[in-house]
Amino acid sequence: MKNYPLIPLPSRSDSLWRYTSWKKIHPSEVEEMPKSNPIIYSRGEEFQIDDSNEIARSFIHSISPVCKKISLVNEGVNLDLESSGDISSGELFVESRGDSTITIRISGDSTWTGLRINGDVTGNLSVAVINEISENSNLLRCDNWKVNRNSSLELATLSVGGNLNKSDIRVELKSKGSDLRCGIASNGSRRRNDDHHIEIEHTVGYTTSSLVMHASCNDASRSIGTGMLKICEGADGSDAGQVFRNLLLSEKARAEAIPGLEVLADDVKAAHGAASAPVDKEQLFYLSSRGLSLQESSSLIVEGFLMDAFRHVKNPDVLLNLRDGLLNHLDNLITG
Amino acid sequence: MSDKSAREAVGDYRYGFHDPENATIRFDKGLSEQVVRDISELKNEPEWMTDIRVKAYRRFIEMPMPSWGNSDMLNQIDFEAVTYFLRSSKGTEKDWDEVPEDIKNTFDRLGIPEAEQKWLGGVTAQYESEAVYHSIREDLEEQGVIFLDMDSGLKEYPEIVKEYFATVIPASDNKFSALNTAVWSGGSFIYVPKGVHVEMPVQAYFRINAKNMGQFERTLIIADEGSSLQYVEGCTAPTYSTESLHSAVVELIAMKGAKIRYSTVQNWSANVYNLVTKRGVAYDNATIEWVDGNIGSKLTMKYPAVLLKGEGAHAEVISVAYAGKGQHQDAGAKVHHLAPNTTSNILSKSISKNGGRSTYRGILQVTPKSHGCRSKVICDALMLDPESQSDTYPTMEVGNASADLEHEASVSKVSNDQLFYLMSRGHSEEEAMGMIVNGFFEPFTRELPMEYAVELNRLLELEMEGAIG
Repeated sequence: MKNYPLIPLPSRSDSLWRYTSWKKIHPSEVEEMPKSNPIIYSRGEEFQIDDSNEIARSFIHSISPVCKKISLVNEGVNLDLESSGDISSGELFVESRGDSTITIRISGDSTWTGLRINGDVTGNLSVAVINEISENSNLLRCDNWKVNRNSSLELATLSVGGNLNKSDIRVELKSKGSDLRCGIASNGSRRRNDDHHIEIEHTVGYTTSSLVMHASCNDASRSIGTGMLKICEGADGSDAGQVFRNLLLSEKARAEAIPGLEVLADDVKAAHGAASAPVDKEQLFYLSSRGLSLQESSSLIVEGFLMDAFRHVKNPDVLLNLRDGLLNHLDNLITG
Repeated sequence: MSDKSAREAVGDYRYGFHDPENATIRFDKGLSEQVVRDISELKNEPEWMTDIRVKAYRRFIEMPMPSWGNSDMLNQIDFEAVTYFLRSSKGTEKDWDEVPEDIKNTFDRLGIPEAEQKWLGGVTAQYESEAVYHSIREDLEEQGVIFLDMDSGLKEYPEIVKEYFATVIPASDNKFSALNTAVWSGGSFIYVPKGVHVEMPVQAYFRINAKNMGQFERTLIIADEGSSLQYVEGCTAPTYSTESLHSAVVELIAMKGAKIRYSTVQNWSANVYNLVTKRGVAYDNATIEWVDGNIGSKLTMKYPAVLLKGEGAHAEVISVAYAGKGQHQDAGAKVHHLAPNTTSNILSKSISKNGGRSTYRGILQVTPKSHGCRSKVICDALMLDPESQSDTYPTMEVGNASADLEHEASVSKVSNDQLFYLMSRGHSEEEAMGMIVNGFFEPFTRELPMEYAVELNRLLELEMEGAIG
């Protein structure tokens, strides 16, 4: 018996589901378990991961016909995931040792795509997740990463595809010396709704984390960033920070930033910040005076703003993949 | 819990004394539609107010408890164990000497009459459900300022009350505003005429004396165009082993160019649930300031709010919270920018000690038609030991591209460097800690009238005793 039918439906008062409700992101009626096509993986071996008590994860687990495992040992890989058919879903387990990198590109034109990623990091892993699914698709992504002793995870997400997206990313810093650097860049146009929830748990002390989310919103698009930083009892010596920044580019664009802190240890550094502002007119004027059109100038400012979300990403290959993905997207927007 | 263990739980709470209860009218415990009708009938209220109360009672029954905040503590509230109305005095006196002796003694011990003579423009003293003493300076009265307890306000100015009552906070806003609207009693009613500036603050002092008492005061303040007012409230209660409930509703209306500052130093004993809804509406170029200090109570859930409805309106919220053993201070601020070129500042500071929990919960909203809005939110939390907890849940909802908003928050402990510096100047560790805590709260205390600021610093020093080691 799968857990999904037994899990109560979340209410809108639950902050996780306040802006993009479970009913809205579900591909059919919430009681239904629709038939799903498998996501096509460019590599990986067959694997199985456990069910979950969390509704979105359990749902993806219940309908997914495929689960793959990628094992990384001091290597860099590119993984392409392509959705097809009406509803498409799959699960992925990433296990890394040593210094490794992985770039995961999600593409395809399914009406709805569900992806669950679990990861276990020992050593240093740099991850880029690039969402390039078709502009009429919906994406539900649920991540669970565990970072082991003296290990570090760079987790960068570039979200430029899809029409309705919900990402629920959770990272557990489970041993002394574990470190997370998480960056999310989101660019919205038309009526795109991009909802990211990031939960970081410092289970033990002497762990560090940073989260930077930058969202630029054009037309009538909307970005939502909710963060939850938990520092557990006894996790003294934790050092954590979150920053959410929004750039609103049009009258009808909207952005929500809801950073959260729950701190149960006293000898910690924990901070968060959020800011929202329009494009700086002086920057626009400067670029225009160098012969760039208004659209090109604006695009350049957006590029700089979004790439700044990845300032903590040290791995040059991962950075290059992210920049290429963003430039392609912005070029497509300019050229139509 | 015995009285002794309750006393141990709340520590040196200096207002924890209680007087013998000499009620002239006391309702049986528990709430029903009849209780609501009885309160209204006892007060000889007009029918429209009875209707508002009854409808609110029905909403209260239907509405669920808030699913956020401290659900465990909220669900412990036994609404049937609360006394919803208790009259201790035959009426509201204008002469201090006419107030019943025992009540007078209580307020004497709290220093109220002394403060009035020195630095207040007017005073309301509420004991249990109703005001027992009320006065206003003659010069203010001559300028047309109305400062009454809410029951008298309804009797003497029913047309003004009817026009504004529950317009800022409707009964259906939340379960506790519904409860207050159903059983409200006492509170302040203030109207400041156009262009009148009330230079000296007016004060209300709320005291719960009886066990298992519910105090549901209702305050309505209207500052007409170009006027200004500063209102200060203080709250205390005796220490009992059983809980009391304080659920107030405060509505502020600042007309064009008006300014209202509402300051609170809440120092309920640690057996009081303090579940308060406070909200103001600011029209064109008006300013509303909430200066909110939460030191006492078992659970406080209070988020002073401002609806910036007129162009150029401004909101300022400064709040501090101290959460000691067994306390949860769930406080914050809500500012809704509903008009262009509105501005706001929110500063929140909290301290958690001895396993206490402090939470900042806030909303900052800019609606799509509100161009040129600016806002800054700062939350700082200090944790004094490993058993305590500190949370922040700020929300920013931005619907207009021209908005310029900033939010920053930090949680930390008192730095050893600061302690060392002060101790090297000859202070004991305890004194040094007290100085750091007072300094941490200084942005709040400097906004209070001096007597309140001195009192607050003293209270904090008391609370900080034994913080070291």
